[in-house]
Amino acid sequence: MPHPIMDTKPGETRLLLGNEAIVRGALEAGIDCVTCYPGTPSSEAPDTFYRIKHAAPESAAYHFEYSPNEKVALEVGGGASLAGALTLVTMKHVGVNVAADPLCTIAYVGSPGGLVLLSADDPGCHSSQNEQDNRYYGRLAGLPVFEPATAQECKDMTKEALLFSRRTGRPVLLRTTTRVNHIRGPVTFGERLEPASSADAKPFVKNPSKYVPIPAFARRMRLELLDHLAAVAGESEQSPWIAEHGEGDVAVIATGISRAYLNDALETTGLAGRVRVLELGLTYPLPEKRIAALMGEVKRLLVLEEGEPVLERELRELSRRAGLGTEVVGKMNGVGDDFTHVGGIGLPRFGEYETSIAANALQKLVDPSFEPSEPVSAGKAEGELPMRPPNLCAGCSHRSLYYAVRQQFGDNAIYSSDIGCYTLGILPPLSAADFLFCMGSSIPGGCGMARFDKRPVLAFIGDSTFFHSGITGLINAVFNKHEVLVVVLDNRTTAMTGHQPHPGVDATLGGPNESMVDIEAVCRAIGVQNVRKVNPNKLNSSMAALEELSALPGVKVLIAEEPCVLYARRAMKKKTAMAAEVSEQGPAVEYCLETLACPAFFREDGAVDVDPVQCSGCMVCAQITKEREDTGAIKARKKG
Amino acid sequence: MEKARIFLTGVGGQGTLTATNLLAQTALEQGIPVTSGEIHGMAQRGGVVVSTVLLGGLLSPKIGLGEADILIGFEPLETYRALEFLAPGGIVVSSTEAVPPVSVSLGKAEYPDITTIEHAIRNAASRAIMLPARTLGKKAGAVQSGNIALLAAMLAADVLPFGVDALKATIERNLNPKIAGVNLEAADLGAEAALASNA
Repeated sequence: MPHPIMDTKPGETRLLLGNEAIVRGALEAGIDCVTCYPGTPSSEAPDTFYRIKHAAPESAAYHFEYSPNEKVALEVGGGASLAGALTLVTMKHVGVNVAADPLCTIAYVGSPGGLVLLSADDPGCHSSQNEQDNRYYGRLAGLPVFEPATAQECKDMTKEALLFSRRTGRPVLLRTTTRVNHIRGPVTFGERLEPASSADAKPFVKNPSKYVPIPAFARRMRLELLDHLAAVAGESEQSPWIAEHGEGDVAVIATGISRAYLNDALETTGLAGRVRVLELGLTYPLPEKRIAALMGEVKRLLVLEEGEPVLERELRELSRRAGLGTEVVGKMNGVGDDFTHVGGIGLPRFGEYETSIAANALQKLVDPSFEPSEPVSAGKAEGELPMRPPNLCAGCSHRSLYYAVRQQFGDNAIYSSDIGCYTLGILPPLSAADFLFCMGSSIPGGCGMARFDKRPVLAFIGDSTFFHSGITGLINAVFNKHEVLVVVLDNRTTAMTGHQPHPGVDATLGGPNESMVDIEAVCRAIGVQNVRKVNPNKLNSSMAALEELSALPGVKVLIAEEPCVLYARRAMKKKTAMAAEVSEQGPAVEYCLETLACPAFFREDGAVDVDPVQCSGCMVCAQITKEREDTGAIKARKKG
Repeated sequence: MEKARIFLTGVGGQGTLTATNLLAQTALEQGIPVTSGEIHGMAQRGGVVVSTVLLGGLLSPKIGLGEADILIGFEPLETYRALEFLAPGGIVVSSTEAVPPVSVSLGKAEYPDITTIEHAIRNAASRAIMLPARTLGKKAGAVQSGNIALLAAMLAADVLPFGVDALKATIERNLNPKIAGVNLEAADLGAEAALASNA
């Protein structure tokens, strides 16, 4: 059955997620190649390409791959583009750090087939370890930056950015933020162009002076890149991605999702039409002439941009350079969102904007004596409410392994964690994450810790993360003779971002993974002498393996392998015949609830019970109560 | 209501995003400009999922404190937590059936008294519709369809430019026939419950 994104006819309108609209835009542009590493908020973009490809391969003529990490994704994309393929590479903001090395040089070498890098930023850290503003990467590497704000623009701008890149032969940054990736709105479909590589072949013609950045060539490439940026700046003066409206002696310049907040704020404040507005879609390099002309006609200019004052700095500088007296106001006027600070206009440098933030700043712009009032809510909850943090699922094998680790080491070891579901082991009572830097950091971070702390150090890493950048850290650990117990929490999929495949999985949508890379074999090949593999749901065997490995010197690896319960249920169609049942209340059951903290457990009228709907039948709780001598038992019972 | 900001909140795994999508789709099929958004933190089960549907030409997918015209809560504690997003004069539609967080099961935190929650909701809202969504879903044939019962209850309140019939038409057009029946039944049960709760 064809995918709705392929099935809908040009001219028809469909409700699409921002990420899905990006996919449609790429298809309309005639995309040839898509590479990625999944990461919220970008994940649905590659996932949609993946599903379309496998739903109707005959109409999806593009190459798609999940790469082990973002650097690899961009490097494959760079090569494809040199061969003439129209290419999209997708990742979340922090992934661009991983890909930064090739990025800054692909900008020199160029991308004749066209190359767009989607960077999905996450202001507010909804699902990320930081909220870095990747518009800086556009400036750092020298990439024109497109920033959509609606679902329709996600589609149109992706198409435009790809065609723009193919026309100029250089990479482009498509920068979104969480709210844009996860916006859902009507999108009117356009015609699909033929795959670019067949409609207009651009075969690779050897020319080392053009494509090999040895220093002598790189210096020239640098100048050509600067020329390119100057040409784009000239072009951007007439860009269709600039919208101007309104009148008055004050103006607002807005980019990205701030444009949506501005739109609604103009309405709620009644200022629509009474303020001059310039909305930027192509946000780097800037159309300086057009902006300077606008600045010359107003007294004050407000800059609306989430995150860092990237645009604001440039506009302040432009105002000075153009000899204009225009006062530029933005988040550099005050400290954080502090309205009471001298000159503060209420624009935070952290987190997300929203309509009220834009509305307050607008009103302050128009009337400097304006003081914002607190938002009025109809009601508010009394007192502290119990929190509901995301949790390891009922039956998650990470929980079983963490339980075994805590039995063995308790608080007497240091737990180096990594990026994935298993980071959620941070919550008590498991408390299995003491520090974390970034994806792939647990092994090297743990090694550094172990050099200077006498306690045992355990490094937890998932299977997808192992392939992402765990391997290099492990190689370093072996080579530099570190002391670390590495636990690979192998749940056979990239679980956190939605069950995407990685090089080690058994199967993909395309069928069995015939070239599966075996983690155990990799560890041994690297030179790890002591590698054990256990089923984490068998507590005794994981405890025995942990005990044995912890007594050994050097680098040790324990592979805890058991498929993610959700993946097993949804993709592998595994049915669980059994569910746990409290057969006898007592201290052992209480102990199990308190130390395992499985979300299938609940307490009703003082008694502990297990929700059979949530229970996945892992029976770890039964093993725990069986081991305890105090009374109380949990037993398996047939489901149904 | 020409423009409306609808705030939806629930627990991961309840299907709140499916319901959000259906509501937005219904608006689109009725020719009403719609923007919708979702935040599901880390894509895990059991955390809070918040989503929005904005009708009538609003572009911002985010709803601030005191801005929601309608608050739909798929779980009472989450309705209570989100109450500060409700605008004065706003409407609340909420399930009355609790999904206790792990901290509550562990005895580390206490789930607020359900009558306290109901009281606070009724105090805040100009109109409050409370129904046992999960039970209605089960009655219709699937626990998950309780979400559709809640949507239908909201539409039965007659505050949007379209009603339960529009939702049902969207369900028929968009859902797999295998599950459409259950959801149509859930819509009817939700609408009935809303009328009874208004009486």
